[in-house]
Amino acid sequence: MKGAFLMTKAAKGGTALSRANQRRENIAGYLFMLPSLLFFVGFVIFPMGLCLFNSFFNYTMTDFSFVGLANYKELIADPIFRTALVNTIVIVLVSVPVTCVFSLWVASVIYKMHDRYTSLFRCIFYLPVVTGSVAVTVVWKWMFSPYTGILNYVFRSLGLISKNINWLGSPDYALGCIILILLTTSVGQPIVLYVSALSNVDHSLVEAAEVDGATNLQVFWKIKWPQIMPTTLYILVITTINSFQCFALIQLLTSGGPNNSTQTIMYYIYYNAFKLSRYGYGSAMGVILAAIIAVFSAMQFKLAKSDNG
Amino acid sequence: MKKWFALLLCLVLMVPAFALAETEITLWTYPIGSWSKSDVVDEIVANFNAVYPDIKVKVEYLDYTSGDDQVTAAIEAGTTPDIIFEGPERLVANWGAAGKMMDISDLWTEETSADIAAAGEAMKGICTAADGNIYLYPLCMTTHCMVIDKAVFEATGAMQYINEDRTWTTEQFQNAMKVLADAGYMPGIVYCGGQGGDQGTRALVYNLYSAQFANAEHTEYTIGSEAGIKGLTLLQQMANDGTIVPDPAIVAGDAIALFANGTTPTCFCWNAALLETNKASLAEGIEPYAVTFPSDDGVPVLDGGIWGFGLFKNDDAAKVDAAKKFIQFVCDDPVQGPKSTYATGYFPTKASFGDIYTGTEKAGNAEYGMFTQYLGDIYQVTPGWATQRTEWWNLLQRVFAGGDVASEVAVYSANVNGK
Repeated sequence: MKGAFLMTKAAKGGTALSRANQRRENIAGYLFMLPSLLFFVGFVIFPMGLCLFNSFFNYTMTDFSFVGLANYKELIADPIFRTALVNTIVIVLVSVPVTCVFSLWVASVIYKMHDRYTSLFRCIFYLPVVTGSVAVTVVWKWMFSPYTGILNYVFRSLGLISKNINWLGSPDYALGCIILILLTTSVGQPIVLYVSALSNVDHSLVEAAEVDGATNLQVFWKIKWPQIMPTTLYILVITTINSFQCFALIQLLTSGGPNNSTQTIMYYIYYNAFKLSRYGYGSAMGVILAAIIAVFSAMQFKLAKSDNG
Repeated sequence: MKKWFALLLCLVLMVPAFALAETEITLWTYPIGSWSKSDVVDEIVANFNAVYPDIKVKVEYLDYTSGDDQVTAAIEAGTTPDIIFEGPERLVANWGAAGKMMDISDLWTEETSADIAAAGEAMKGICTAADGNIYLYPLCMTTHCMVIDKAVFEATGAMQYINEDRTWTTEQFQNAMKVLADAGYMPGIVYCGGQGGDQGTRALVYNLYSAQFANAEHTEYTIGSEAGIKGLTLLQQMANDGTIVPDPAIVAGDAIALFANGTTPTCFCWNAALLETNKASLAEGIEPYAVTFPSDDGVPVLDGGIWGFGLFKNDDAAKVDAAKKFIQFVCDDPVQGPKSTYATGYFPTKASFGDIYTGTEKAGNAEYGMFTQYLGDIYQVTPGWATQRTEWWNLLQRVFAGGDVASEVAVYSANVNGK
């Protein structure tokens, strides 16, 4: 009886000790997280909250007055915003699938190669990412030039066009050109990620499927695809966000023109906030953009989950 | 005892520090001529420090692509510089009107005001905002013109359409462009991909039929007048005929580069400083020859540029005082003033400085002085200037895309005049 009592006491003591240890570990964990948490709150959460707050004000260089939902009402009636929204969605709908499919295709070709060549191709495709958007854009601007650009020269030499085209100056081509450049700067990271994901696919499962007579397509679809799904999901979300936030290319190449044919929400936010000093109106657009990105990302998560399920 | 000794030693060591306490001021400068080059500005600051060793001047260089964004961000963050070097469209009509600038009317003494007025009577009015405060103290001014490649114009026979005094009529301009196009040259490129160098396209449009870009009271943009519409219609027609080339993908900088490399023998953006900055990049055989914009009566009105210094609002009296000393030294000092102006490549806003280019390395700039007689109204101080600039190149894009000129101009006028 006495022994049992002592054991219970010891057990209680042990539980108390483990709780204390647990608490201490939790505190230590939170303390380790604190610097990045402060950074996250200060530079992400707080600006987001401030953006939402400002969107209810007529916030300019000279005024800061509450206007309720007036900025949002103005947005709905703003034809340039609607054009920007459509253009942004077109960019996302074209660039995200193309980036994912192209990256997966390149990755599935190069990951089987000798390590040396895999690295070489990874470097080649990653170059536009590390080069910096300004340098990449300048080079593309030269290539698209209607006077001295190589693109017109090549197309004319091949007989595809009879006279030079002003690629960035034509509403018919400008958005396509922007998407093309965006693709070159977007595929680098997905390729690197896919190469890594494909290399980590369980080869015993692949071999077993091949022994059982599965075709290449079946092996890919039934064995590899489910295993690289987390990577795909990450790539989809990141590419979607990057496409929605396409800004530097527009600013450096077209300023949203010609005739707003390359106007995007990000550029229109910048234009209103920095050129016209309409910070409140720009913030309202920022809130709408964040909401759209959230909806798209949630849809992608949902779809990917149902695919996995 | 040791403690007291240590304390005493500290105090003694701090005395010189207090004695030499400097005031640090910050200058943000846009790329006005060579004021974008650190070696040039460093020399100006060194000259200032030779007279005022207790004032430290920290210089930051802005460009026209992102400079406005930097200033806007600084205004909202409360981190504006003490001094800024730019023109009245920003200092007076934008930041001044928004209440961000400091009244510097005390720098306009009787003597300096008279000197500036002798160079340009309207100068003080241009530097004064609607509230009566003066937000700019001018250093230099110029007239914006256009440039042709004299060699090509002579070779094609288009030179006959340019008068001795470098003016030409609208009809002569049309003829010259046709001659160039027929000879296989790319005639003038009307850039409209952004606001860079838009003074050129504005002057081209409003000169063709003597329109006014803004009213004399500077309360409204008036290019939507009959004469303005006529000018735009002519350009649209010339674009359709191939006697000018509209390009919605480039700005003035690109057009200048195309002139410099010989792609086109005409450029609608030019001035004395641009001659200097582009000298090195001119392809062999190109002879830049500055001309006025064509006008129906042969009497052009040229866009003017005035650049000077303004102070952002500041509660620190010592910094304000130091900043004003800097401005006075750079602009008014009889030795430094001409040097500061020479660095811009433009012309002095003080009559007493006289001709600062003849006999110097920039002797070529002196001939641009002939255009000063055509200096028009500085309408850039009309409210809504920032909106106007974006609306302008968008208007040109719509017109060159085939839009109905009168309707498109009506949209422009409604947007810029808030009607």
